[in-house]
Amino acid sequence: MAERVFHREREFTKAYKQHMHDHIAIREAACLRAQYPGALGPIEPGDLFAGRVRPAAVGFSPDEWGQTAFGYYHLPDRFREVLQRPDLSPEDRAEIEEMLEFWSRENTSSKVRARYSPEMAKVMPSDNWMNEPGMVFPLYRLCGAYPNYGKLVTLGLPGLRREVEQARDRARQTGGDAELFTGMLIALDVLADACQHYADQALELANSADPERRRELGAMADILLKLKTEAPGTFREAIQLMWIYSIVADVRNYGRMDVYLGDFLAADLDSGRLTEAEALRLLQSLWQLMADRNTRVHGRVIIGGKGRPNEANADRFAILAMEASRTVLEIEPQLSLRFYRGMNPALMEKALDVIGEGRTYPILYNDDVNIPAVEHAFELSQEEAEQYVPFGCGEYIINHRSFGTPSGVINLLKALEVTLHNGIDPTTGKLVGLQLGGLESFATFDELFAAYKQQVEYLVDFMAQQEEIEYQVAGETMANLYLSMLYDDCMERGKGMFAGGVRYLGGTLETYGNTNTADSLTAIKQLVYEEGRISPKELLAALDSDFEGYEHIRELLLAAPKYGNDDPAADGMAVKVHEHICHTVRDQRKKTNLHSYLVVIINNSANTLMGRWTAASADGRKARVSMANGNNPTGGMDKKGVTAMLNSLVKLDPSIHAGAVQNMKFSPAMFSTHRDKLKALLQAYFDNGGAQAMITVVSRGDLEAAMQEPEKYQHIFVRVGGFSARFVELDRDVQLEILSRTLY
Amino acid sequence: MQGMIFVIQRASLHDGPGIRTTVFLKGCPLRCQWCHNPESWSFEPEVFYNHDGTTKLVGKLVSVEEVMAEVLADRAYYASSGGGATLSGGEPLAQSAFTLALLKECKAQGLHTCVETCGHAAPERFQAVLPYVDLFLYDYKATGPDHRRYTGVSQELILANLDALYKAGAKIILRCPLVPGINDSSEHLRAIARLEREYPELLAIEIMAYHNLGNDKAKRLRRKPALPGIANPPQSTVQAWLDVLAELGCRKVRIG
Repeated sequence: MAERVFHREREFTKAYKQHMHDHIAIREAACLRAQYPGALGPIEPGDLFAGRVRPAAVGFSPDEWGQTAFGYYHLPDRFREVLQRPDLSPEDRAEIEEMLEFWSRENTSSKVRARYSPEMAKVMPSDNWMNEPGMVFPLYRLCGAYPNYGKLVTLGLPGLRREVEQARDRARQTGGDAELFTGMLIALDVLADACQHYADQALELANSADPERRRELGAMADILLKLKTEAPGTFREAIQLMWIYSIVADVRNYGRMDVYLGDFLAADLDSGRLTEAEALRLLQSLWQLMADRNTRVHGRVIIGGKGRPNEANADRFAILAMEASRTVLEIEPQLSLRFYRGMNPALMEKALDVIGEGRTYPILYNDDVNIPAVEHAFELSQEEAEQYVPFGCGEYIINHRSFGTPSGVINLLKALEVTLHNGIDPTTGKLVGLQLGGLESFATFDELFAAYKQQVEYLVDFMAQQEEIEYQVAGETMANLYLSMLYDDCMERGKGMFAGGVRYLGGTLETYGNTNTADSLTAIKQLVYEEGRISPKELLAALDSDFEGYEHIRELLLAAPKYGNDDPAADGMAVKVHEHICHTVRDQRKKTNLHSYLVVIINNSANTLMGRWTAASADGRKARVSMANGNNPTGGMDKKGVTAMLNSLVKLDPSIHAGAVQNMKFSPAMFSTHRDKLKALLQAYFDNGGAQAMITVVSRGDLEAAMQEPEKYQHIFVRVGGFSARFVELDRDVQLEILSRTLY
Repeated sequence: MQGMIFVIQRASLHDGPGIRTTVFLKGCPLRCQWCHNPESWSFEPEVFYNHDGTTKLVGKLVSVEEVMAEVLADRAYYASSGGGATLSGGEPLAQSAFTLALLKECKAQGLHTCVETCGHAAPERFQAVLPYVDLFLYDYKATGPDHRRYTGVSQELILANLDALYKAGAKIILRCPLVPGINDSSEHLRAIARLEREYPELLAIEIMAYHNLGNDKAKRLRRKPALPGIANPPQSTVQAWLDVLAELGCRKVRIG
């Protein structure tokens, strides 16, 4: 029988309404019951593990669904789509319209916005950051959780259940919040039911499968049934458990996988239960499942680094993981290799092999720089800092111990633009910022810089408040049952993640336009204030007309020193801009209840999307053109060679933010003909303080050809700031931005 | 002490071992027809015409301190790769006092040094720099009367300097630009093979296959390219040169 239209959404809504005023843990558990197994996608041919997603138009997610929606989310587009169906009965239409109306009020994101003060609402009039101009935008989401997968695969479902039951009993005896744990027990039932659901499905599929596939599906079903009552005992079982958990819990980053799977792998290989080839095949299937899940900006698998108790076994897993990334040509997982001086050199060798083939993975993270940086930025002990993990586009948190979703974006170049125009956004003519005088009123460069800083500081206060409000709403609305059972110290404290459970609750602010802002300030300082070659009036006229008729002014601006050339003036300004925004944001921890609030300079394609709404800038950039990516120089402006570029990069202090991406584009020859020199180059960069490297290996000719004949170039992968992408699938202006980046 | 340079190229991978910074000195006694750096000929700054109609000045006087500041910025890369500083040109020995000062300073800083030279300079100039040069990249461009025809000078002085450097124990890589139909005669290839026999301690002989990027630069200097119609040799031509040299008994030839 065909499913009733919006059946899953109706069931979910019914459960929510029924428990609307119950304890949030009970409500959440009831909603999870309603959500699953309906939101589980079918096992696909070739899958060796069960677990795919089939999200409904209404649901619960601790992360985000749709554009900036989290918690109890709804997808208005899907509602509108179904409401347009001509065959919809009047009763169905009425019910769905009522549901849409209900969720428009009741979705968690709306509750965040509803709590803004009038001033906040004025500063952030829109959350449509992709399609409207603005200096700051909120992002409603709770991204980047790293639950304790190690605990999950060690205890298994029965072990977790025992732990939750004990905690519930303790809470009952001590007057604690026992219902939180009751909710967790239901959530564990839902997880066990998901295992049963897939076991049944696997056995049913096995009936009509060929003998080999029948064996595979049979093994899958056996494992799923076993996991209901036993902890995993093999590599394959452990993977199945972590995977089905991550699907049902909707957790999108996969942790220090070499640590929690390394021992399983080693035991299976050493006992002969599994061959290397079989183990690789399992990982390849897992990798494909991650790819098909298409989280776009998540899907991190972390390997390598300090703080691994089982280093030798973990290394074996890490090498296998890199081989999986070499052979599965997909965008996810975002395999990330942490490394340090003294680590098994085979890992870096393997990494360079894989990167050299044009895979963009693994992304490289230098522990020798990052651990002290995390210690300082987050004010944590070295031992805790050793457990840093980059999530999503590259924001650091502490594995299953801290949380720091990026819940806002700031376009620094727009803030400068508004400052130069005395509070007016020249692209709209509207007054949007502080009126501090405008360029013609500043007698010295220092006055201009002070005004820019004031503008930015004013905005950052609100962004930190937005983050706090989001957590408050989250804490009041959701228990985060799946995360809370695997996140320090929720169980011990008897509290949900955002109701005081997580040990370190921090936040992050995504900054864009950093490089263009610095280069603009460098040019203004030199040409307007020091040399007097351009008057303030002339500069404003040139910017406002997008340099039409002011080509000579643009030439002067372009010829001014640029960040990325190891130039003291340009890099010095970049350092000033960097330190100002990083400290301003970091100081918010004193003004809020956040444990930390830190800048991330990550970039996805936001440098391009926000660039579309940013006018011409004093670094010579034309209006609407992409801003520079992450911490990187403006494409084509780094003219002094790769060493000079890398020297510029390391001048920006990594110990005052929570992650920055450094994209580097190398030619294939660098990896083949000059492999030793490449290794030496990276080593010196890392020794000099380089924290991170995302390397794309591609020839310019291939990129140009791919723009002409995309169908032939599906295999080209490039880094777009924080994430990897198929080049041919990107928008044209994003493609051009990548093409403009200097190729070494 | 100042010298005339036209560019400092950092992260240079083709001018000696490791990752290097190459200082290109401006001014050269030779006029090689295939020269890909025609802006290196004159000892004076010159106007370069960009394709968009704008101009820029090529060549500037710099002090030893200025050059060293840029060279030393990449120390870490030299250390990790076994690289260093390379003086090229133009002809570094044509500004021998400046070159000597730079080399002394590099050695004082513990850097590995290379000098890329056409060999056409007074012998005492080579004697003076010899103690401060770890490796010579020494050009061998043509044989017999061809040398004057294609470079503007005869090769006697160049061969004498090579001989003297070799006998003084200098480390030398021979660099041979080969231009199809111009200087790739069998006589020239035989002469290269002879040098390998005569100087068994040469570190290597590098074949530098012609590329015509210099033509565009010549036009931008408002000069007529000397070899306008020559295409870049295909891989098969380069392989044929290598085959001939191997047949002639060369064992140290590689593509540079």
